[in-house]
Amino acid sequence: MTVEEQVRDIVAKITRVDKSIITRQSTFKEIKADSLDVVQALVAVEETFGIEIPDEEAQKFQNFGDFVSYVESRVAQEEKV
Amino acid sequence: MAVDAMGGDYAPEEIVKGAVLAAQKDDVEIFLVGTANILEKELAKCKLTNGSSIHVVGASEVIKENESPVDVIRRKPNCSVAIAAKMIKSGEADALLSAGSTAAAAISAIQFIGMVDGVYRPALVGSLGSFAPNTVMVDLGANVDCKPHQFLAFAIAGSVYARKFLNISDPKIALLSTGSEESKGSDAVREAYLLLKNSGLNFVGNIEGSDILNGKANVIVCDGFVGNVLLKFYESIGGYAQVWIEQKLKKYPPLRALVRLLFNRLFPATKISRETEKNGGGILWGVDGIVKIAHGASRAPQIANAIESAKEAVKAGVVENLKSELAKFNQGGNL
Repeated sequence: MTVEEQVRDIVAKITRVDKSIITRQSTFKEIKADSLDVVQALVAVEETFGIEIPDEEAQKFQNFGDFVSYVESRVAQEEKV
Repeated sequence: MAVDAMGGDYAPEEIVKGAVLAAQKDDVEIFLVGTANILEKELAKCKLTNGSSIHVVGASEVIKENESPVDVIRRKPNCSVAIAAKMIKSGEADALLSAGSTAAAAISAIQFIGMVDGVYRPALVGSLGSFAPNTVMVDLGANVDCKPHQFLAFAIAGSVYARKFLNISDPKIALLSTGSEESKGSDAVREAYLLLKNSGLNFVGNIEGSDILNGKANVIVCDGFVGNVLLKFYESIGGYAQVWIEQKLKKYPPLRALVRLLFNRLFPATKISRETEKNGGGILWGVDGIVKIAHGASRAPQIANAIESAKEAVKAGVVENLKSELAKFNQGGNL
């Protein structure tokens, strides 16, 4: 399972939306995720991948794709270490 | 009972006093969660009788007034309400009481206790008492914006409440809207109508604001924004009615005195808010454990009542009842 698929599963489970509608271009608003959904998703992703996502980075996420790209880069960094 | 001793307008003094009151009159073991040295000082001021069982559990963080409740999860996982929630999850306590931010308690409950299988967010359920003793409303303020499936979960929680606490065997459920027709209301309300209509519940359709008190429904379902505004308006009616009538009778002192007597002793309208105080707030339904929310302005007697009420909820097995009801509707994760 790719990082993107895992993040999509987490977001879909928390927001209760069908994961097929979550594309890299989807904004959190479009998938009807409120602030609590977003924070829960961040916490779940942090726990799943063993990474920490600083608030200042999380605030830059414009859409699901930004979120996934950040997680992918952090996971790659961790793997190098 | 895990008590968030740092939450509330009069915390921690009145929370500690209320816990002591409850421990003295009731068979309940209380864990006061908060800044340990402050709580120990407050506890030392109280006269504890032999056999009272109160412990202090330290919490290293405190939520400040200007902080977002959502931050509880990421930035303050060791604040008092979060620690209290974790005690429910671990089985150290059977119930949690907080007079602090409802949102912070709800978020802690979601993250650290978890929801009953299939439920998305907790809801506040409460009886309307005085004018409509056989009517409950849900949600009273935990969810400002709701997704359609949440209304179905609210209806089920309200039904369990009506059966368990009002002894209504087959509660009539209605959706609060701007008209009785299926097409009335917001997008979420119209979608919820269809879910409720096909749910197998005793759904009687939409009702309007003018039907809230007339008994057409035992369970009135609405989002937390509408529910909270209505509840606070409802609680204020009695007091304003008394003032208005007394002003009208200004020139007739004997009648004015009679009105005061009626309102204070007999007429139930002004007791609406007192009944709420007596009940000591509401339970967050849908959480996999008892989480009791007391009013922010609660003083010691209300805190003691809330502890007693949370204990009754544990004894009544409300979580187990809700789980079994929800299981009937949760096939396919529809809630």
